[in-house]
Amino acid sequence: MTTKLKIDGVTYDVTVDDETPLLWVLRDHLNLTGTKYGCGAAQCGACTVLLDGKAIRSCATFLKEIGDKEIMTIANTTDPLLKKVQEAWVEEDVPQCGYCQSGQIMNATGLLKANSNPTEEEILAEMNGNICRCGTYNRIKNAIKKINAGA
Amino acid sequence: MGLSRRTFLKNTAIVSSAFIVGFYLPVKARADEATKETLRPNAFIQIDPDNTITFLMGQAEMGQGTYTALAMCIADELDAAWDAVQFKAADIDPVYNSVFGPWMLTAGSTSISTKQLEMRKVGAAVNEMLKKAAAKKWNAALSDIKTKNSHVINLKTGDKFTYGELVADIKTMSIPENPELKALKDCSLIGKPTRRHPSEAWAKVTGQTEFGIDVRMDNLKYAAVLHPAVFGATIVSFDPSEALKRDGILKIKQIPTGIAVIAEHWFQAKEALNHIHVVWDKGEFANVSSDDLRKEYDTLLNTPGASMRHDGNTAKAFKEAHSIISADYEFPFLAHAPMEPLNCTIHHTGESAKMWTGGQVQTVYRKVCADILGLKPEDVEYNNTFLGGGFGRRAAANADYIKDAVYTAKDEEWPIMTLWTREDDIRMGNYRPMYKNKARLALNKYGDITAFEAKVVGQPVVKDTILGFLFKDGVDWAQWDGLTDHPYSIMNHDMQAHSPSSPIPVLWWRSVGHTQTAPLVEGIVDEAAHKAGIDPIAYRISMLDDLRCIKLLLDVQRISDWKNRKKEKNVGYGVSIVKSFGSIVAQVAKVKVTKNDFKVENVWCSVDCGFALNPLNIENQMISGINFGLAATKYSEITIKNGEAEQSNFYDYLVTRISDAPEIKVSIVNSGEKIGGIGETAVPPIFPAVANAIFDATGKRYHSLPIKIS
Repeated sequence: MTTKLKIDGVTYDVTVDDETPLLWVLRDHLNLTGTKYGCGAAQCGACTVLLDGKAIRSCATFLKEIGDKEIMTIANTTDPLLKKVQEAWVEEDVPQCGYCQSGQIMNATGLLKANSNPTEEEILAEMNGNICRCGTYNRIKNAIKKINAGA
Repeated sequence: MGLSRRTFLKNTAIVSSAFIVGFYLPVKARADEATKETLRPNAFIQIDPDNTITFLMGQAEMGQGTYTALAMCIADELDAAWDAVQFKAADIDPVYNSVFGPWMLTAGSTSISTKQLEMRKVGAAVNEMLKKAAAKKWNAALSDIKTKNSHVINLKTGDKFTYGELVADIKTMSIPENPELKALKDCSLIGKPTRRHPSEAWAKVTGQTEFGIDVRMDNLKYAAVLHPAVFGATIVSFDPSEALKRDGILKIKQIPTGIAVIAEHWFQAKEALNHIHVVWDKGEFANVSSDDLRKEYDTLLNTPGASMRHDGNTAKAFKEAHSIISADYEFPFLAHAPMEPLNCTIHHTGESAKMWTGGQVQTVYRKVCADILGLKPEDVEYNNTFLGGGFGRRAAANADYIKDAVYTAKDEEWPIMTLWTREDDIRMGNYRPMYKNKARLALNKYGDITAFEAKVVGQPVVKDTILGFLFKDGVDWAQWDGLTDHPYSIMNHDMQAHSPSSPIPVLWWRSVGHTQTAPLVEGIVDEAAHKAGIDPIAYRISMLDDLRCIKLLLDVQRISDWKNRKKEKNVGYGVSIVKSFGSIVAQVAKVKVTKNDFKVENVWCSVDCGFALNPLNIENQMISGINFGLAATKYSEITIKNGEAEQSNFYDYLVTRISDAPEIKVSIVNSGEKIGGIGETAVPPIFPAVANAIFDATGKRYHSLPIKIS
């Protein structure tokens, strides 16, 4: 069956079983590989995208749950807040292997959309679902604190 | 091998309009193998006429920052415009071989220590040629010419050439063999804190980086593999009929490592695995659990092992000892769990093949592929991508995930990506081995250590691998590294090892042997300090002759304000110092212990790697190693039940998360000694620093990892 998906401002028609997780629709059906597979069980956050501005785990969100909500991924080039987060990530020298960073950045963007000035506790609580085996956590904290999301 | 023994070459055949510089050099081979020198072409720098400058990287980038650091060496000497530099993973060629042997291998924290001088010379040689070429064109004196930002400038006239404009001229020039290197004070990148190169950093924050899992091409199909859950189990028969009826399934076939499902899309293949009915021969290991291994290891601990170090007279020292400290240690199997699940893409096209993967050991992986397909290695085109974490796992000695991919794609019409699930990654072995160790110290009446006995029981890691030459006299490198060569002045040693075997494959894991020797050595020395009633830093200094170690302990004492640390309830401070991979790292951890739990609140970390080529990356790697090591200190373990790993994903194989990350302060001591490694060196000291801090807080010694407060 064909489903319409709005991803980063582009509308796609995909013909995929609607029990397929959004992650695999993005990666394998649309070849939008910026969103990463890490665990397939909503445990690591590598697959995080925004659905109507809210961070979700795309490995555990099925196509049928998307409806007409807008999907924002790491490849988005027009969202000003995402751009700020990406700039802060580079400025703070966050990425090492970089594999988890798509998810980290999308989760941080979701956090800042809801809360432009999070406390340390709020950052830890919201980012705790995103694993980084390179252990870039200290730099991630610094980067998020630096972002002036309200401006 | 010094540069003077090499003959430079220019290879213009690869890209006709570009200039590529490299060397012809004798293939590096270990002395016992090297009978004659082979000459092969290669390249490091490519300059295109449009002034695009590309560095060809033989080392794998898995997060450790090696692309940036090696590029700093080339670019500084070349005077290349830093932000515009581009990177390309090199093809397989002996010139990129590792210090360990005749293959490309990124491991042992060696990329910078073994390659930095060579990369500087490559950059300097080309810089000299560009200046000479411009001087000739302008009929100017070399002293009137300088280079900057990928341009040659005539200081008298102000005329400029881009490097690209000189490509045709330098093609015909001979390459200087001993180019002059810049003085360190004149370097603009080397020794300066430098962020990850913008081309790599921006690709990584925008999702553009191509990891192995991101390789895409026309007609690409995907495979998942059903593996036995019990180590060593084999397939008796299987029924794929139900799975074959599912959407997108193209083929299901038995391969030597399991049952491969090839599908249009990976999720279809992975879901189909649940619908294959298999009759397994589980084999004898199905009766084995962790407790059985413990019993076996305990038996070995009480029998003489292979000698790792024997000097002095330990029996006499223990007989005359004023006091004796003894301890038993247990360390579990550990998965590496890099964030990018393991994968490899193969296109077998009859008489040749192409492969794509992010590997730490390119030459070996290509040979595995060629052998299975019955091809010569040079008939396999190997493409190395960025690695979504390595930690040793992407230098798999048994090439498990590579073999899966090659067997799956063998004789198939499509290019096929074989991708492991996270469950495969956690359950398929290639773990840091389980260890059971014993150690004893004899102390004299002053509290000095007079004898050190240790026994290590754990599956050998390097035996029967490309690093097999590090298995000697029945002793494995991962059993002794950091133990027999501990830094303390002790006169009597008796250290032995046992190498049990099991169907569980084991592998080097970030910092290798130090993962089990550091908690032993730095744990028991801390016990000796306590027994002697001396401050743990002062005690270590009293037992050390090594001036670098002493200075580093004084540095970590200073940055942690050790002497003014406050005694608070349930809060403790622990220190450790470990020499590994040519560098020394000392750490102080501050830990708060609560009922059944603990939190590492601060880590102060002093590092002496000889010369800090990129201080910012060194700081990043210290933070990385500490957070990585904390996972195994606090959480991670693989346990065995009925022959299977009991853990399968991040909900039961726990790792550090952002809330676990301590505040970390890093201090770099530039001792001016030989440049050492960085990527692995912050991992070992964190285990004992935390255990010692917990003792300080609670009065209880935790010898085993992960630490479970009781």
